[in-house]
Amino acid sequence: MLRRASFLSFLLSAVLATATTISAEDKDGIDFFETKIRPVLSEKCYACHSVAAEAKKKLKGALYLDSKEGVLKGGDTGTALVPGDPDKSLMIKAIRYHDDDTAMPPKEKMPDPVIADFEHWVRMGAPDPRTGTAAPKAGQAIAEQTKTHWSFQPVAAVKPPAVKQAKWIQTEIDHFILAKLEAAKIPPAPTVDKRTLVRRATHDLTGLPPTAEEVAAFEADKSPEAFARVIDRLLASPAYGERWGRHWLDVARYADSKGYVFQEDRAYPYAYAYRDWVVQSFNDDLPYDRFLQMQIAADRLVDMKGDKNTDDKRHLAALGFMTVGRRFINNPHDIIDDRIDVLSRGTMGLTISCSRCHDHKFDPISTKEYYGFYGMFASSEEPSDPPIIGNASDPKQTEAYEQEKAKRKKEREDFRAKTYAERLKELRSGEMLAKYLLAAQDALGQDDDKRNEIVSTRQLERSVFNRWRGWLEKIAAKHPVLGPWKLMVAFPDGEFAQKAKELLASNDHGWVNPVAVAALKGKEPKNREELSKLYGALLAANDGEQKHEDGSQEAIRQLVRGDGTPTAVAYDQANEVLNGKDEDKLRELQKKVDELASQHAGAPPRAMVLVDRAKPHNVKVFVRGQPGNNGDEAPRGFLSFIAGKDAKPFSDGSGRLELARAIANKDNPLTARVMANRVWAWHFGTGLVRTPSDFGLRTEAPVHRELLDWLAARFVADGWSVKKLHRLIMLSSTYQQSSNGTPAAVKLDPENALVSRFNRQRMSIEAMRDALLFASGKLDRTVGGKSVDIIKEPFTGRRTLYGSIDRQNLPGMFRSFDFASPDAHTPQRFFTTVPQQALYLMNSPFAVEQARALAKRSDGAGTPDARVQQLYRLAFARSASKDEVKLGTDFIKTQDGASAETEATPVWLYGYGVFDPQARTLSGFTKLPKFKDNAWRGGDNMPDEKLGYVNLTANGGHPGNSHAHAAVRRFTAPHDGLFTISGTLKRPAKEGDGVRALAILEGKPPLGDWEVTTGEVATSVGRVQLKAGQTLDFVVDGKSGPGWDGFEWSPQVAGIDGTNGTWNAADGFSGPKSAKPTLSAWERYAQALLMTNEFVFVD
Amino acid sequence: MLPNLPLSRRQLLQRSGMGFGALALGALSGGNGLFADEGAPPVFGNMLPRQPHFPVKAKHIIHIFANGGASQVDTFDPKPLLNEFHGKALPIKLSTERPTGAALGSPFKFQKYGKSGIEVSEIFKNVGECVDDMCIIRSMYADVPNHEPSLLLLNCGDARQVRPSMGSWMTYGLGTLNQNLPGFVVMCPNGYPIQESQNWQAGFLPGVFQGTYLDTKHSDVEKLVEHVKHNFSSPKQQRSQLDLLLQLNEQHAKTRQQDAQLESRIQSFELAYRMQMEASDVFDLSKEPKHIREMYGEGTQARQMMYARRMIEKGVRFVQIWHGEGQPWDNHDDLEEGHRRLAGECDKPIAALIKDLKQRGLLDETLIIWSGEFGRTPVVEMPKPGSNAGKINGRDHNHYGFTTWLCGGGVKGGHVHGATDEFGFKAVVDPVHVHDLQATIMRLMGFDHERFTFRYAGRDFRLTDVHGKVVKSLIA
Repeated sequence: MLRRASFLSFLLSAVLATATTISAEDKDGIDFFETKIRPVLSEKCYACHSVAAEAKKKLKGALYLDSKEGVLKGGDTGTALVPGDPDKSLMIKAIRYHDDDTAMPPKEKMPDPVIADFEHWVRMGAPDPRTGTAAPKAGQAIAEQTKTHWSFQPVAAVKPPAVKQAKWIQTEIDHFILAKLEAAKIPPAPTVDKRTLVRRATHDLTGLPPTAEEVAAFEADKSPEAFARVIDRLLASPAYGERWGRHWLDVARYADSKGYVFQEDRAYPYAYAYRDWVVQSFNDDLPYDRFLQMQIAADRLVDMKGDKNTDDKRHLAALGFMTVGRRFINNPHDIIDDRIDVLSRGTMGLTISCSRCHDHKFDPISTKEYYGFYGMFASSEEPSDPPIIGNASDPKQTEAYEQEKAKRKKEREDFRAKTYAERLKELRSGEMLAKYLLAAQDALGQDDDKRNEIVSTRQLERSVFNRWRGWLEKIAAKHPVLGPWKLMVAFPDGEFAQKAKELLASNDHGWVNPVAVAALKGKEPKNREELSKLYGALLAANDGEQKHEDGSQEAIRQLVRGDGTPTAVAYDQANEVLNGKDEDKLRELQKKVDELASQHAGAPPRAMVLVDRAKPHNVKVFVRGQPGNNGDEAPRGFLSFIAGKDAKPFSDGSGRLELARAIANKDNPLTARVMANRVWAWHFGTGLVRTPSDFGLRTEAPVHRELLDWLAARFVADGWSVKKLHRLIMLSSTYQQSSNGTPAAVKLDPENALVSRFNRQRMSIEAMRDALLFASGKLDRTVGGKSVDIIKEPFTGRRTLYGSIDRQNLPGMFRSFDFASPDAHTPQRFFTTVPQQALYLMNSPFAVEQARALAKRSDGAGTPDARVQQLYRLAFARSASKDEVKLGTDFIKTQDGASAETEATPVWLYGYGVFDPQARTLSGFTKLPKFKDNAWRGGDNMPDEKLGYVNLTANGGHPGNSHAHAAVRRFTAPHDGLFTISGTLKRPAKEGDGVRALAILEGKPPLGDWEVTTGEVATSVGRVQLKAGQTLDFVVDGKSGPGWDGFEWSPQVAGIDGTNGTWNAADGFSGPKSAKPTLSAWERYAQALLMTNEFVFVD
Repeated sequence: MLPNLPLSRRQLLQRSGMGFGALALGALSGGNGLFADEGAPPVFGNMLPRQPHFPVKAKHIIHIFANGGASQVDTFDPKPLLNEFHGKALPIKLSTERPTGAALGSPFKFQKYGKSGIEVSEIFKNVGECVDDMCIIRSMYADVPNHEPSLLLLNCGDARQVRPSMGSWMTYGLGTLNQNLPGFVVMCPNGYPIQESQNWQAGFLPGVFQGTYLDTKHSDVEKLVEHVKHNFSSPKQQRSQLDLLLQLNEQHAKTRQQDAQLESRIQSFELAYRMQMEASDVFDLSKEPKHIREMYGEGTQARQMMYARRMIEKGVRFVQIWHGEGQPWDNHDDLEEGHRRLAGECDKPIAALIKDLKQRGLLDETLIIWSGEFGRTPVVEMPKPGSNAGKINGRDHNHYGFTTWLCGGGVKGGHVHGATDEFGFKAVVDPVHVHDLQATIMRLMGFDHERFTFRYAGRDFRLTDVHGKVVKSLIA
């Protein structure tokens, strides 16, 4: 091996040496370069394309034109120059100024003679005496920095530094923090009071507020271990995993949907299994190295076989880390890129994705390494039937689910089988055989455009056409059946009829299949179409399921049925014969199978796994990220700057298992550091390193680099236990500081880089919504399960974590409260402040519902003072001060006088009235009392004892039994303006004497009066001036009696000439509105408490 | 918890005891430091107005989206030679997404308008009257002939990856001029266009910079803007409740060091309270006088254009108007009928919008963009199952050349830039790539598109990725 390498390098150097010698001899060329080329390069190009330009940060396109090597090596777009070939040289193309995109120099085109000089120079072989290396900095600088960059060094064994104020020390962490504070002469912030501390810790570890009782118990516990006990209690709560699991789901860009898709089902029915696994892993304190390994290669760490839902098998769900990303309309390159990104930023704080198109500009990661990772994912696949890992939420329904699923699968399969048979039968008909035979013949030797034209103008199925074309090309000229065809189709159009007649009349057919002879002999096809019909008929006549005993007949049958013929399509390739509509229908049926998994309570959880492909393989680098633009092969393996230059490529399956071990490894300098920093950041609101997912060369060492190393080392030494890390951090004096810093701290450490105080934190959307439910007493503490819709009413009390995340249509509430983007890995939440957040708390039915419920919980408190106290305990887990009680009770007092608003009249009302057919008036409008089966009606029974048949639905209704019970749909104008009325009255029945409909504005002659016996009539009224509150009645009367008088009529009222609004009776139809009385004074008070800063900020 | 907020400024405010208003002022005056080359760019946690790199030409953008891809040769790029070739094969051949055939002459007549004498199709005769204010780019080109990537390219600068949309960049960089309304509003009647909300995504920017979607099928403000109306107590009761809230929050703040987060949240309730009124007001078209309503005409497009003008007037930064759900302009068949109907719906309203903004003196500071995600082929599309139902009277997608026009906001009026070949297939004179258009729009809004970046995943991202050149000749 070694000998071969040196032989190669000997060869290479020999070649290079020769090249140098030749150009050195070319003195004329050098002269030409020096006089014509170099001055221009220097004047026009170096400003942006030289080492000097790079030093000024002005280098463009990574292109150096100030050395021979640089020119040949080229920049981002590849080599700038191909000696001898100006047309292939990018540099020449650029200065020719043809393409706006690449035209150089940017300001203006150089004079034509100069361009001609450059072309000449390239044609000469581009003699260039310049030395120097291209980009001495870019590559080398990265290599140099890599050797010393802080986060790439092994985690150092650090000793906590000595400090003066030893009394402040509770854990080793405090040594690091205090030493720096003492050096900066900043006293740490005072220790926080116990109430604040327990609220901070409870929010921090569980994402929930503490109860008043929990606060009181902690305040009463004077023992030194009191806080440690609180921490242990919180860590043991299932809510701990829900809170910290959600932190990790931000890293994992979790969502319950694929994003934008064409036709398939959008839901990920089993994403929740991954979410639940993450939650449980935090609760179980699964060691972090194991936690990562499972998420990268659980398929190799767990026995996947067997039907039993072992606890081990549960871990398969971990692979959701890889698979719950956006699907980019199923573009495999983007899916893999997303996986590489979440993996590298999530676990190691490295941005490997930057190397998709070119070597990383700032970090020691090459494109080859990126495609090494790519190869691992390209060598992995998602099985179509993901493994079952547990029981359904409702196991009793599992059987029903399986049956329904089997039924839907069968529907799809039956359709496929039936359509396949039908299409094949069609294709074997004489007509179709003739059509495709001729089309294939016409396409022979033609280009793509012509072929496309044939396919589209003749309405052919492309795949079938392609089969025919491929087959016909291979048919020999003297083929016993198709030989005559081949001869005849060559006849020119004008002579076709005559020549064909002659040929088919001749007796020179000893070489032709006798059955074909019989069919063709003496025929007189006028043209190719007619000939193809003869052939179509011949083939069809001899086709059939059964073999012919006669060899000649059988030979013809074989042309239709034999292997490799165009119309012999195996069932597993059925798609080849299906048409577009068939395929649409199939997709629709498949979607029905798929969506069942997310809809049916009997569907057991499955794991969204990746498994190694049977034949793992390397890919070649996609030059500039373009698939198909192949570069060198990229071996699957780990990053060389971590693994070392001599590290072996991965060879075990896809390589993911080796990858998992390389990442979740105590010797990996990044993994433990990155996680220790994340945990710190999730506690304090800011990491020691402020870019938690970027530890690359551009990220400077944090102020507390030693502390981070110490934490990372301790984390590994503690068996990668996250819970131990929590204890360590939370028991420190550092953690227990007030969020009000000392004056010196605020002045000297404005950004709190030295952790001279705690950071006040606003609740995330999850914590805030959960806290609202907590205060209202409606929080449902069920852990795990399928995702639920948390937007729609009636509102669920489940924790926000369980809300379904449709990454394509994230509800406005999530967006305005800075929820983690489910599109890509989110290192840190934003915390913005916009009025939409306030509107949500002021006006959303959810927030109002919680305010009502909270107020209700204080109903029995007695006096107003006691009631305020009770509300404070429920909302803030504390008692109210005297001032606060007064503020509250004063508010209630001033509110008592204010009258509650009356609810606005609904636009549509449903009733009956007395219709006078002569006067054409309506009197005594009365609302229909009962809503049942989507209709307003007289009562439970139909007809009702008193009111008879009268009823109204969204689209129509039925008049009553007499003029006293005409059906009346009443519109009440919501504002002044000019309106039109439109609609169609239908009466389908043929029997009876029909109905009469009128539009009556109160106190006026009818605006419209229509009758219909059978059929329909338009009910339009031009312009109606209405005042707010005025009523417009749409009356339907049954004339002589109610027989067969069911009608359809959903009139529409629309504003015109600038009047707003359109009210369609069908759209606006509703049953009884749930009573939503206005908020009472106490409810408004409760809502105010829930909107306070105290409620949503944690000190 | 604003880890990347320009903290020194915040801390300065805290020390000097200044409040929220002062913070806004700081952001306004400190423009030069906000987009500096060095160091991590700041993350803005609010919508307060900010200064870009250069003096601005345009303060607002209205982007009218002819989604589906309007045909250039039937609207703003007349090609007499194409009509002469009608039914014959064209001498130039470009591969198209679907099979295409012979030349398809435009069924519409073109006529010269205005002093500039620029020709516009009869289906846009009202818009034609505004041509002296319009800058027509007849040499646009994109990368591929598919809706999905082309929509994302035009809106977000990248055809596939997750990237912030233009409106998100603008509101991120500039904030908005009226805190009582959303800064970036997207209107599309009946539902979403293709690629749905990804067209106005915030990408890796904070979620607040994502476009606020309004389904303009509705005209009821409550259905247009989420939670904008309070239905549970009277305005007076709500006011006294918010007064109570203010007192509670002030007490809370008293025992704590000055903290911008607390203050800005206190303010946000006041903003929200005003937004309830202002949003209701802006969408109440009955407030428009009759002659204005008649100028815009009837229908959804007219309503959308009127909303847009009312929002711009009130200080909204970026308004995007889609013609309708899906891809209405995607006339693979029945193009004559389709384009006539679609233009018929929006021609008068668009012209009214231009004239209305002009008469109010707002056109100079408002950039109107009219575009599709690409154009259409000058050749006829051949029939294919599933796309044109066997009819041979429509056009396929065309990314090689299409027309976009700009109006107001500091662009040259009565100006035609670039040209397609003599049949209108490919941009051949002064071609403008979508990234160039974006770079130019950025410039008009006061940004150097190469310097307006956001650091994410270890890299500085920008709207134009690593491409784009400002087309200076478009700027007045």
